[in-house]
Amino acid sequence: MYMGIDIGSSSSKAVILDKTRRILASAVVNTGTGTQGPEKVVETALALAGLFPEDILYRVATGYGRMLYGKADRQITEISCHARGAAYLVPEAGTIIDIGGQDAKIIRVDRDGRVENFVMNDKCAAGTGRFIEVMARILDCPIDQLAELSTRATEEIAISSTCTVFAESEVISQLASGAKRENVAKGAHHSIAMRVAGLGGRIGIRPIVVMTGGVALNLEIVRALESEIGYRIVVAENPQATGALGAALYAAECNL
Amino acid sequence: MDQKVTSKALLGELLDKHYQDAIDAKARGKLVAWSTSIAPQELLETMNIKVVYPENHAAAIGARKCAQEFIDDSESKGYSIDLCSYARVNLGYMSIRDSIAGNIPMPDFIFCCNNICNTVIKWYENIAKDLGVPIILFDMPFNHTYEVQEHSVKYIRGQFEDAIAKLEEISGEKFDYDRFREVMAVSSETARWWKKATSLAASVPSPLNGFDLFNYMATIVCMRGKQEGLNLFKLWAEELQEKIRNGEGPWKTGEEKYRIMWDGIACWPYLSDTYKTLKNHGINMVTSTYPDSWTIVYESNDIDGMARAYSSNYVNRNLDYGVDNIAGIVKEFSLDGIIYHSNRSCKLMDFRQYEVQRRVRERTGVPSVIFDGDQTDPRAFSLAQYETRIQTLVEMMEQRKQEGRCER
Amino acid sequence: MSRLHKIISELEEISTHPGRAVRKQMEKTGKKAVGCFPYYTPEEIIYAAGMLPVGMWGGQSEIKQADTYLQSFCCSIMRENLEQGMSGVYDMLSAVIIPTYCDTLKCVCENWKVAVPQIKTIPMVYPQNRATSAGVAYMTDEYRRVIKELEAMTGAEITETELLKSIALYEGYRRTIRKFVAISGHYPKTLNARVRHAVIKAGFFCDKKNYSTMIGELLSELKKVPSEKSEGIRVVLTGILAEPDALLDLFDENGVTIVADDLAQESRQFRTSVDMGENALEMLAYRYAIQECSLLYDEAKRRGTLLKDLVKDNRADGVVIVMMKFCDPEEFDYPIYKKELEEEGIPMLYLEIEQKMDSVEQLRTRIQAFTEMVMHKSLFYNGKENDDVHGY
Repeated sequence: MYMGIDIGSSSSKAVILDKTRRILASAVVNTGTGTQGPEKVVETALALAGLFPEDILYRVATGYGRMLYGKADRQITEISCHARGAAYLVPEAGTIIDIGGQDAKIIRVDRDGRVENFVMNDKCAAGTGRFIEVMARILDCPIDQLAELSTRATEEIAISSTCTVFAESEVISQLASGAKRENVAKGAHHSIAMRVAGLGGRIGIRPIVVMTGGVALNLEIVRALESEIGYRIVVAENPQATGALGAALYAAECNL
Repeated sequence: MDQKVTSKALLGELLDKHYQDAIDAKARGKLVAWSTSIAPQELLETMNIKVVYPENHAAAIGARKCAQEFIDDSESKGYSIDLCSYARVNLGYMSIRDSIAGNIPMPDFIFCCNNICNTVIKWYENIAKDLGVPIILFDMPFNHTYEVQEHSVKYIRGQFEDAIAKLEEISGEKFDYDRFREVMAVSSETARWWKKATSLAASVPSPLNGFDLFNYMATIVCMRGKQEGLNLFKLWAEELQEKIRNGEGPWKTGEEKYRIMWDGIACWPYLSDTYKTLKNHGINMVTSTYPDSWTIVYESNDIDGMARAYSSNYVNRNLDYGVDNIAGIVKEFSLDGIIYHSNRSCKLMDFRQYEVQRRVRERTGVPSVIFDGDQTDPRAFSLAQYETRIQTLVEMMEQRKQEGRCER
Repeated sequence: MSRLHKIISELEEISTHPGRAVRKQMEKTGKKAVGCFPYYTPEEIIYAAGMLPVGMWGGQSEIKQADTYLQSFCCSIMRENLEQGMSGVYDMLSAVIIPTYCDTLKCVCENWKVAVPQIKTIPMVYPQNRATSAGVAYMTDEYRRVIKELEAMTGAEITETELLKSIALYEGYRRTIRKFVAISGHYPKTLNARVRHAVIKAGFFCDKKNYSTMIGELLSELKKVPSEKSEGIRVVLTGILAEPDALLDLFDENGVTIVADDLAQESRQFRTSVDMGENALEMLAYRYAIQECSLLYDEAKRRGTLLKDLVKDNRADGVVIVMMKFCDPEEFDYPIYKKELEEEGIPMLYLEIEQKMDSVEQLRTRIQAFTEMVMHKSLFYNGKENDDVHGY
């Protein structure tokens, strides 16, 4: 059996595969690197699969906290792992978009799920999960309900600032002058989509486009992104676990 | 002269004609140059070569609020968000080539003068590389001394000579030195009238609101060597004098309560927002730091004088000059305050601003604020932040006025 | 410790504690020291004046005082230089030469005069029309102006003989350090990214005569040991500089060998030789006329060609762009050579850096992913039939 563990900044994910590379278990815990999250997600995945630690022949760690996790046989970046995982789920994938808490990434892959090229956001938080968090906080809306809020919009309030600090003051003054929360929420989603699409322009987007990572569960962003890049987006099944799945696939290969 | 035509109407006509002439020239297979805004256009005018100014065009695109599309295009090619937004708009325009703000023909060669910044060297290098056209570069050494040094004059003069040879080569025509003398005379005269008109804003109240100044600036960029340009600024000056005689202020309604100077380029995408915020407080922007950059005045046939004039605009001179310049403006225009635009696009203007602000404040006592913005990137400006800064400035100016009253 | 490692650790010590190294040499020789801002300053002239030229390449200190003069979107080397000037780090210098290659340097030069009044400022303008006769004449006039300033400091004339001797010494130094750069890729362990950088950087804080001797000895010691096999990928670095050490460690950690560079702080300093001129100042002016750097006007925009040649000549797997954030000249060059390298199928990694970085985690991911991308064939598909490595 093979295990992939994806340790992010705010969550941990684990996937276990059997020898035929069938998924035996997949687990997500909402705490990330520097917490008990990685241990816990491994325990949960083992329990779900009905396995003991010694049953695992090879472990690959990925994600922001991959270097700090001591129990892996190998560390591989989330770039390669998301590519591998997405290509396993959608074999015809040409481009992978992953929006995480700290980073947004766009990865071009070949038919075997190998990375051809990739691009990540710069230091600025625009276009990342962090921007969504900030917007959710100002709009006083739980983050998992932000998309739903946006669907009730009657119009879109454009947020032109890219800088998160500027955008914050822009949104506050919009709200102060009577703009509706739902309309601002729609603008916020669009703003992220624009940033990520701009990033995509740097390497060129090739269909089929697959979206992975937790933000893919926010269908408003997916829709906004589709209209910005001009391609339909396939959301990976269980998108949060795609990186861990890729890591597990690498674990199976490394152990050959 | 037809008295019924206002300078504002004429300005619009001239700008339209300027762009149309370039488009027509291109269509007829004539040469078109792209030039930086304060370049020795005398040489091009002498050879009757049509010129387009990408800075003007980018500003127009910004003011029509359609810059984002062009910015997105150049950023997707790899241009950093931290680069000058005029450059990003223009480099995006190179591939899109269509804008509601008007179109410009592609250049046959590049005419670049770095007295306004070294950024234009890199920007224009890239245009030339992408289009495979030659560049004529005028390198105006940065004046870390107060005045232009003699060996700089010699170097610039040498570059004028090299440029003339290169222009003859590109166009296949001889350079006409008699015509050159005439163009030099017209250019200097236009610049004198530009200076005269803009200086009329020193009257209290000012007959001019400075946001109009930003509009007229487009014509001093592209009309300096032309008789039509000279006529325009004469007409404008007459209109302003007329307003002064009639005791008219900058606006039809509302009193000019505070007179301020704007340091740096306008925020084109937010031109009306930034203007209204000021007007609501009764603030008139009577002048700005850089209109004087086009006061390129020299004696006809004095090439050394022309060299000196082209390298002594304020951004190409040292900090001591920068301070004297603004302190002089404060006095000449009886200013109550100063707004400094910390413009993400223009590092050359920005990175001396803090020290200039401190020294001008110390020397003149006039209050000032700095706000963050950008000349054409709509994403780098926050109206809320701007409004707060302006309100603070008003409070400071008011306090100073009251203290002044007490002292008297 | 072997002689080889002793020389390396001496150079590392100089590179990590430049202030200490400079003071020691000043005491030993009794020479005055003159600071040299990036990117190219007339070191030969300072040396001919009997003074010690000292490179000034920022650092990693916390920015506090420089914020009085510069906005946060100013290049980190310049903010650091100003910060250190204001906090007295450079007080041992008798003067500082500040060239005005870019808009930021023009402003920093002006601010420095006010912010660091205790050190004499010698501004210097290098012409951008470098290869024309007017440009060469201007350059030599500027050299003469600087010579007068330096002569006033020492009270002694800088003779043509001294200038020519100094040029000969500097040409020798350039030849030697070029040999080191050429050979460093053969010793990816002994001369890993951090060591390679330290050895080159140390030159900015040494009398070039002593430095050349040290590098010469280092080269002959290297000849005695067998070359080392590189396990990962081979890259060419391009940009202003590759710092901080935490970044260089990431290259080492991921088996990335630097086989050549196009860095302003490294090869751009010494890859060009004097090749003509009738007197010392003309020789310097003509050398400057053919130097290649993003800060110097280049109508032909040769950077892409230059990088392609470096990749080919050094059998590199790709190019790593270390982009100094807020450096306009470098940022403008990027889209042009990016396109040219893409057309050649040369893999590129774009890393945005500042001199002081709170975290290199994202860089770690990028570098590791790049090596995975370039190497995936051998890593994960061993034994399987495969295409060539994919580029862009």
